[in-house]
Amino acid sequence: MSSVTIRGVRKKYGAMDVLHGIDLEIRDREFVVLVGPSGCGKSTLLRMIAGLESISAGDILIGDRVVNDVPAKARDIAMVFQNYALYPHMSVYENMSFSLRLKRMTKDVIDRKVREAAEILNLSKFLDRSPRQLSGGQRQRVAMGRALVRDAQVFLFDEPLSNLDAKLRVVMRTEIKALHQRLQTTSVYVTHDQIEAMTMADRIVVMNAGRIEQIGTPLELYDTPANLFVADFIGSPSMNFLRGTLDNGGLRLADGTLLPLEKVGRGTLGQKVVFGIRPEHLVLSEDSRNLAAEVEVVEPTGANIQVYAKVAGSPLCAVFTERHDFRPGQRIMLSWDYERSHLFDDATGQRL
Amino acid sequence: MTSKTTRSILYWAILSPLMVVILFPFGVMFVTAVRPRAELFTYPPTWGFSEFRWENFSEMWVKTNFGGALLNSLYVSISATVVALVLSIPAAYAMSRYRFAGKGAYRTFLLMTQMMSPIVLVLGLFRLMMALGLVNDLNSLVLTYAAFNMAFTIWMLQSYFNSIPRDLEEAAWMDGASHLTSLVRIFLPLAVPAMVVTAIFTFINSWNEFVLALTMMRSSEDFTLPVQIYAQVAGRYQVEWHHVMAATVLATVPVAIVFSWLQRYLIRGMALGAVK
Repeated sequence: MSSVTIRGVRKKYGAMDVLHGIDLEIRDREFVVLVGPSGCGKSTLLRMIAGLESISAGDILIGDRVVNDVPAKARDIAMVFQNYALYPHMSVYENMSFSLRLKRMTKDVIDRKVREAAEILNLSKFLDRSPRQLSGGQRQRVAMGRALVRDAQVFLFDEPLSNLDAKLRVVMRTEIKALHQRLQTTSVYVTHDQIEAMTMADRIVVMNAGRIEQIGTPLELYDTPANLFVADFIGSPSMNFLRGTLDNGGLRLADGTLLPLEKVGRGTLGQKVVFGIRPEHLVLSEDSRNLAAEVEVVEPTGANIQVYAKVAGSPLCAVFTERHDFRPGQRIMLSWDYERSHLFDDATGQRL
Repeated sequence: MTSKTTRSILYWAILSPLMVVILFPFGVMFVTAVRPRAELFTYPPTWGFSEFRWENFSEMWVKTNFGGALLNSLYVSISATVVALVLSIPAAYAMSRYRFAGKGAYRTFLLMTQMMSPIVLVLGLFRLMMALGLVNDLNSLVLTYAAFNMAFTIWMLQSYFNSIPRDLEEAAWMDGASHLTSLVRIFLPLAVPAMVVTAIFTFINSWNEFVLALTMMRSSEDFTLPVQIYAQVAGRYQVEWHHVMAATVLATVPVAIVFSWLQRYLIRGMALGAVK
C-alpha cells in the first residue's frame, strides 16, 4: 500500500489540452473518488496513474518513486476496467491467477491466493467457468478478484459499475466499500455518478474541463461547495439557484421580488450573486414574506415527495419527507434555514 | 406433409440448378477417372462404365509423377501460408493498434494491389525472379503467393484485430505482462478465428494458382499439381484422359472435403470479425 502524489500533471493530445495542471495528494489507505461529467479528464488522469497514457508535463509519484517513465507492468498497480476486460479464453481461475503466473509464483501459493480472493468475493463455485458463462455482477467480481490477488500498491477503478443495472450497482457499491474497509488498499475510483462518489469516498475530487474544482470529504462538498459547479454537481435533485442583486435587507431577484436574507455579510451591496438552496432544505412556511412558489409537477418517490415549482420565473425543486397533498397550480410559501443556504458570486462562480 | 418439409423441398428445388452446375464437372471427372481406357470416348456419352478401375489411380500416380507434384504443391501452399501469416500479423497489429503517418495511404495501397491480376505482372515477376536467381525454384512461388495474398490477409486480420478490445491488452499490462507476453498469451489466442480464415484463404489460393507456377517452373520435377496436370494435356500427341481425370480427382477432392469441414470456422471467423 502506498500514497499517490500528482504534481502539476498535464495532458495534451496534439494541440488540445485535456488536463491543465492537476495537483493531488492521495494518502496511503485512502479511498479517493474522481468525479465529473464525461470529458472532464478523470479517466485520462486515472490512466496516467496506471501508466496507460503518457504524461505531457508534471510528475506522478507512487510512494516516493516518480513513475513517469515506469511502464504499466512495473508500477505494481491493479486496475478494474469499465467493461471488466476479462480474458475471454481463460477460466475464472486462470483470469485471477494470470498475474501470479507471470510472476512465476509456485502453484501452491497461486492456488491459495486465488481461493482466498474467490472466498472473499463469493466466487468459489465459479472458478472453472469461463467469463461468458457469468452474469454481469459475477464478471464484475472476477475483475475485482484479479486485482485482489495481486496485493498491489494501489487499486484503480475505471467506472466499474456503469455496466450493471441500477439495483446491482447499489449492491456492488456497498461490497466495494466493505472490501476497502477490510483491505485498506489505497484506491482511486473514477465515476460520473455523484451518488457513487458520495457514498464510497473518503475524499472526493470534483473535476471539470481538465481542472480540479474542489477536493473534500463527501459532506464538505455537500455542505460547503466551493463554487457553482460543485454546488450543482453534488446532490440529487440538484441545488436550486436564484440569480439576483444584493440589496438592503435581502436579495433582489430579476422580477423585483425581494428575498429576505437574515444577514447579508458575505457580499457587498449591489453585487450580482447566485443564491443556492438544496431542495431538501426547503420547508413549508405560513409566513407570506417568504418565497412564493407555484407548483407545477409533483413526483412522489415513496420516501419523499419531489415538487417542481416556479419562483419568480425560475424553476425550483423542493423535497419533503412529510406527506403533503400538493396540486399543480397550487401556491405554496417556502422558507429555509439560513445556515444551509449558499451564496456565490455570479461573475466568478466562487462561493461568498 | 408439414410446412417445414414442404419448405425444404422447395428450397432444394430452387438450389438444384446450381447444384447441377457445381456437381456436373465432378461427376464427369469421377466417371472418367474410373473407366477403362477403351470406354473413354463412347458415343453417345453415358454415365456408366463396364468396370470400376481403381488401377487408373495407381497407374496415373506412377506415370504422371503425381506424388512429386503433390509434395511440391503442399510445400508451396503451406510455406506461402506461413510466410503470409507471419508477415501479416505484425502488419495488421500495427495498423490496428498504432497511429503512424501514412497509415491511410498504406491501406489504400494494399487495396490497389488487389486490382491487378497476376498475369499483368507475370513478366515483371519473372524478371525479378531471374535477378534473384529463383527461377525454377519453388521458393519463388512461395514468395509471390505470400505477397499476392498479404493484402487480403492484412485487411482481414486488421478488421478482426480492431474488434478485440484494447482493454484486454491493457489489463494484461497492468497484470505485469510485457507487450510481447500480452500479445502471445492474450491477443493472439483471441485472434485464432481470423488467423484460421486467412490461412485457409491463402492456402486455397496458392493450391489453385496456375499462371505464375507455369511461368516460374521450367523443369517438370518442380511442377505443382495444376501445372503437372496441365502438362498431361498440353502439347501431347495422345491424351490419357482417364489419368488426367484421376489426377484432378486426387488434386481437388481431398482439399474440397477438408475445406468443407473447415468452412464452419471460416464462417464463424468472418461473422465474429464483423459483428462482435
